[in-house]
Amino acid sequence: MSTKFSGVWGTFEYLDDTTEAIEELRKKGVEPTVLSPCPRHEIDHALGEPQSPLPFISLFFGAIGCTIGYSLPAWTASDWVLPVGGKPVVAITPFTVIGFEMTILHAAIFTLLGLTILIIIESLKNPIPKAAREYLRFQRDRFGIVVRCEASQYQLYEDLLKKYQAEEVYVEKG
Amino acid sequence: MASTTILETVEDSSRSLPFREEIDEHRGHPGIRATTFSYGQINDDMLEMLEKPHPSYFLLVLGFLSALLLGAVSLAIQVDVGIGNSGISHPIAWGFYITDFVFWIGIGHAGTLISAVFYLTRAPWRTAIYRSAEAMTVFAVLTAGLFPLLHTGRPWLAYWLIPYPNERYLWVNFKSPLAWDVFAVTTYMSVSIMFFLLGLVPDMAILRDEAKRRGKILQAKIYAIFAMSWRGTNHQWIHFMRGYLIFAGLATPLVFSVHSIVSWDFAMASIPGWHTTIFAPYFVAGAIFSGLAMVMTVLIPVRVVFRLEDYISNHVINKVCQVILFTSMIVGYAYATEFFIAWYSGSPYERAVFYFRPFGHMATWSLTGDQPVSFPLLAFYLMIFCNVIAPIPLWRKKVRNNLVAVWIICGLINVGMWFERFNIVGSSLQRDFHPYNWGEYWPTLVEVGITIGSFGFFFTLFALFMKALPPMAIMELKEAAEPPMRKGHHEH
Repeated sequence: MSTKFSGVWGTFEYLDDTTEAIEELRKKGVEPTVLSPCPRHEIDHALGEPQSPLPFISLFFGAIGCTIGYSLPAWTASDWVLPVGGKPVVAITPFTVIGFEMTILHAAIFTLLGLTILIIIESLKNPIPKAAREYLRFQRDRFGIVVRCEASQYQLYEDLLKKYQAEEVYVEKG
Repeated sequence: MASTTILETVEDSSRSLPFREEIDEHRGHPGIRATTFSYGQINDDMLEMLEKPHPSYFLLVLGFLSALLLGAVSLAIQVDVGIGNSGISHPIAWGFYITDFVFWIGIGHAGTLISAVFYLTRAPWRTAIYRSAEAMTVFAVLTAGLFPLLHTGRPWLAYWLIPYPNERYLWVNFKSPLAWDVFAVTTYMSVSIMFFLLGLVPDMAILRDEAKRRGKILQAKIYAIFAMSWRGTNHQWIHFMRGYLIFAGLATPLVFSVHSIVSWDFAMASIPGWHTTIFAPYFVAGAIFSGLAMVMTVLIPVRVVFRLEDYISNHVINKVCQVILFTSMIVGYAYATEFFIAWYSGSPYERAVFYFRPFGHMATWSLTGDQPVSFPLLAFYLMIFCNVIAPIPLWRKKVRNNLVAVWIICGLINVGMWFERFNIVGSSLQRDFHPYNWGEYWPTLVEVGITIGSFGFFFTLFALFMKALPPMAIMELKEAAEPPMRKGHHEH
């Protein structure tokens, strides 16, 4: 995958300008990358409410954790049988505590790992130019829109971003 | 949405008189003025807190370090000489160390409650305090985790608590509540740390870029490591927010399960005073109660020192006080229920223990020679006074708005909750079924030193946190704030 960036990016002071520009870009079939100082539901809405597959990762590994949580005590109890006080050797009720804890622990660990891996994959799939990465106000008070496009479309998207009051617009010629 | 404005009285302790402030219902959250600030101002305010500290900060840290040093020396003596150097002996096998363990686990509950449970229930007032409360959780659980290891007497063999394959087919007993506890506490600690670190990532990116903006290149490089290439793209936010929600969902049952499982360490035993089904909810309510009291004990001075009235507003303190009041009532109800059930059960052993707690003459402690003081009795009455009677003034809004009063009440609650833990741990073991098996317990100086050291450990870590990391979640404050809009207010 080539990470050389070709496209246009701009900065915005206002959230409503940003969301309007996103909507216009999406009407033209472009899926931009948006930078913001904090998560905003208005941006998600403008982007068409994208979803993360992360819950499935958590569910899957939570289920694995649950299986381990029940089977480990059951196996160890059967490995060296110690019948005490007439209690069952494989006792489901007390093992439920371990099952619960292992479910939560595995779900949490793999949610964190899954989150990291998903973000790395997305960063590779949707690269942003070095200058945008180094623009310091996205972590402060500015919004940004990055459009990946061919050289023939530079002018079109530059004009579009300016139409929605972009403060600064930059063209990155691959 | 209607464009009306609402009037809300906001009392500002930094002014001599309460004033009426107009808060537009569209702009930020009522009662938290910081949510009407611009994104840039929020960054600046938070960065100001991380500036070079006042010399008094170093004095404070020195005080905490002295307590920690005392604890470290006591710990060294305890480990070197052995558990015989403590007051723990037959029949009181659980003394100060298990009391400290249960107390600190309880303190650790507020952070996850505020960061996870109140996140899911969309309580906006949590925004300004959850990061500090979460840090407290991590530090309190780390502190708590030391005690069971120490209590084993040979902490270097602590790995025996973990089920690992060995040539003797020797596995841990998964039917024992003590094994449950190992799993519960380690899971809680791991999830709390991960949740805490996850929330920090976007804020570290803010610190990285702000440090660069201000020409502090070395700081920027250090923050960049922890920011993990965070840029704030929509792709990052969508996974991050989903992950955060999942973590909140996973941490929520943990809040209730951890202290339930800790309570089963006692309730699964047949000792009178312990063997009761009320223990799980009773412990959980007590944990939330003590945890929130500790949050207030720490954050009220923080608010005053850093002048954070706009962030940790009276509105926020009011809300926390309301939860403290509610849990105080649950705890008071649980105390009453314990006595009622002891009487109603008809069991002479249960009745005896609950008679001994308020009226019994257990171990005596003579300060003056002639007038012995019963330590368990003292623990019982302190518990009732601090946990049930002292919070009653919080019913009045005027008291909840008085920072000094809230701080004193919360301090008393911290004291009361420690004695509640001692009351549970100590008194039942002192008087079990058979008078022949009765005994006394006195903590040694080493145990007292380690207990003081645990407070030193907790507060040292918290003081360092306050100056090294953003004590409030900058990203969430911005999320709660009014976004910059060219065409006026945004729709919530």
